Amino acid sequence: MNTFKWLMKREYWEHKGGLFWAPTVIGVLMMAMMLVTFVIALGSGKMHGDFTVNGVQMHSLAEMISPADRIQVADGLSTVFVGSAIPLLAVMSFVVFFYYLGALFDDRSNRSVLFWKSLPVSDTATVLSKLATALVVAPLLSLGIATIVGFVLTVLMCACLLVGGVNLFGPVLSNSHTYTLPLEFLASLPVYILWALPTAGWLLMVSAWARTKPFLWAVGVPLVSGGLLSWANAMLSMNWNLQFLWQSVIGRLLLSVLPGSWSFLLEDPSKISADSLDHGSPMVAAWHVMATPQIWIGAVVGIAMIVVAIRLRRFRDEG
Amino acid sequence: MNSVISAKGLTKRYGKQVAVDNVSFEIPAGRIIGLIGPNGSGKTTALKAILGLAPFEGELKVLGFDPSTQRDELMQQVCFIADVAILPRWLKVKDAVDFVAGVHPKFDRAKAERYLAHTKLKPGMKVKEMSKGMIVQLHLALVMAIDAKLLVLDEPTLGLDIMFRKQFYQNLLEDYFDEDKTIIVTTHQVEEIEHILSDLMFIQDGKIILSASMDEVGERFAEVMVNADKADAARALNPIDERQVFGKSVMLFDGVPRAQLATLGETRNVGIADLFVAKMKGTYA
Repeated sequence: MNTFKWLMKREYWEHKGGLFWAPTVIGVLMMAMMLVTFVIALGSGKMHGDFTVNGVQMHSLAEMISPADRIQVADGLSTVFVGSAIPLLAVMSFVVFFYYLGALFDDRSNRSVLFWKSLPVSDTATVLSKLATALVVAPLLSLGIATIVGFVLTVLMCACLLVGGVNLFGPVLSNSHTYTLPLEFLASLPVYILWALPTAGWLLMVSAWARTKPFLWAVGVPLVSGGLLSWANAMLSMNWNLQFLWQSVIGRLLLSVLPGSWSFLLEDPSKISADSLDHGSPMVAAWHVMATPQIWIGAVVGIAMIVVAIRLRRFRDEG
Repeated sequence: MNSVISAKGLTKRYGKQVAVDNVSFEIPAGRIIGLIGPNGSGKTTALKAILGLAPFEGELKVLGFDPSTQRDELMQQVCFIADVAILPRWLKVKDAVDFVAGVHPKFDRAKAERYLAHTKLKPGMKVKEMSKGMIVQLHLALVMAIDAKLLVLDEPTLGLDIMFRKQFYQNLLEDYFDEDKTIIVTTHQVEEIEHILSDLMFIQDGKIILSASMDEVGERFAEVMVNADKADAARALNPIDERQVFGKSVMLFDGVPRAQLATLGETRNVGIADLFVAKMKGTYA
C-alpha cells in the first residue's frame, strides 16, 4: 500500500540518525580501529607481540605457524562477520528500545501529532509503520552494514597476515562461512521479529499512554514491582519462585529486542545454545526457538499490547 | 445530506468542568463560519469533537460520518490546522510536500509549490531552521493545497505578519473556497476575517450565544452615535452596549429597526470585534 510506504519513509527521515548513522559510525570506527592496530603492529617491526586470532598466538608468523594453525586461523577469519555483527546488533537494540519508547510519545509531546492526525492516515497504519521500522528496517540496515564491515575486516586481517608472510586469502575466501553467516543471520530475522514482539508492544503501549517520562514508566513499573515482590519474598520467606517473573515476564518485556536474547531469557536455553554462535549454525539455533511455547505466548501478548497502543493512539485526548 | 456538520446535544466534560454544554447546531455546505469566543470558551474542544480528536457525548455528524467511530473515512474529506499544531523539527520542506502528496489523494502538489514559491522557504530547509512565521507558511501551503470538503482553521495565522495574513485570507477566499466547501475559522484577530465570513458563531462558557449569517448580523445589530439630547430615549431601547467617544454615546442595539435608530443619531454597521466585546461583557470581568 502506498500510504504505508510513505509512513515508513517518514520514520526513516525522522530516525535516520539511529537507523543508519549509528550503525555506520560504529562500523567505520571498528574498521578504523582495526586499521590503526595493524598499522601500529606493522610499524613496530614485523608482527611481534600479542596478536591473537581465534586463540592462536602469532609471533613472527610464517615460520611459527603450523598447517593445523593455518586451518584454525582461516576458520576463525571466516567467522569475522559474527564479531562485526554483535556490536552493531547490540547498538541496534538500544536504538530500537528508545525508538519504541518515543514512537508514540514524542509527537504528542512536541505537538506535531495534530499535524499527522490532520492527514488521512489511520492510527493502525501509523503504529504498524513504527512497529515495522524497528523490527524490519533497523535489523536489515544493521545486518547490511555488519556484512560490509565484516568483509572489510576479513580482507584487512588477511592482508595483514599476508604482510607477515602468511597468505590466507584462498582458504578464507573459499570458506563457505564467510558467505553463509550473514545469510544465516538474515534467515533468523523472522524469529527475532516474533521474539521481540512483547518488548515492542510494551514500549509502544507505554509510549502511547504516558503523558510524561515514558522511560520511567516503561522501565520503572516492571522493575519496581519485581523488586517489591522479590523483597517480600525474601522478607516473608514466601518461597515463591520468582525466576519466572524476572526471566519470562520482566525480562521479556524489557530485553526481547536484543537479538539472541532467547539464549538467556528462555528457562532452558541449553536446548538451543547447543549450537553456539561460532561453530554451529546461528540460524538453526534461532529457529529452535520457534519450537518453544514462550515465543508464541510472548508474540500473542505483544500483539495484544500493540492493539492497545493503536486504540490509545486513536482515542487519547490530547487536551 | 444538506448539513456538513450537524450537532445535537453535543457535550464534553473534563471531570466536573463542562467545556461544551449541550450544544446543537447545523452548518450547511458552502459557508465560511467564524467561530469566535474567549479563551477557554470551549471552541477548541468543540472543534476537537468535530475532528474526532476527543470523545464527546451527544449526537454529531460531520459529512455524514460519526467522528468518533468513522474518523478514518472522515479524514479523507476533512483537513485542519489546530491552534497548537506544530510541524516536527526534523521535517524538510520537500519531504513534507512528498509525504502529503503520497498519503493524501486530494493533494495538489503544483498548488502547494506555487504557494511555497511566494515564501522564503527552500526545498532543503528543515523546520528547525525556520522562523515561527515560516513554519506557519509551510503548514498553510500544505493544507491549502488539499481539496477538502471541510477545512477547520484554529488560529491559523498565529505568528504571521500582517502582510502574509491578509494574503492568506485573500487566497482562502479566491483560490480555495467554493460552494461545495465549508470553512470554520477561529482567530483572535476578528477584524481580519470579518469580510470573508458568511456566518458568525459566538461561543461562551460552552454555549453558543449567537449564531447568525453575516447578513442577519447586519440587519439585527446596529451602532448609533447618539446625540446627547437623545441619550435617555436611546437608553430606553435597551442598548446591549454603550461607550463614550468624543463626548457622545455610541450605543449598540439588537433588533431595533434602522429607521427608528436613525432618529437618534448617525447609524452604522457594527464590527464583529465590537459586537464580540459587547456580547462577551462580563466574561473578562
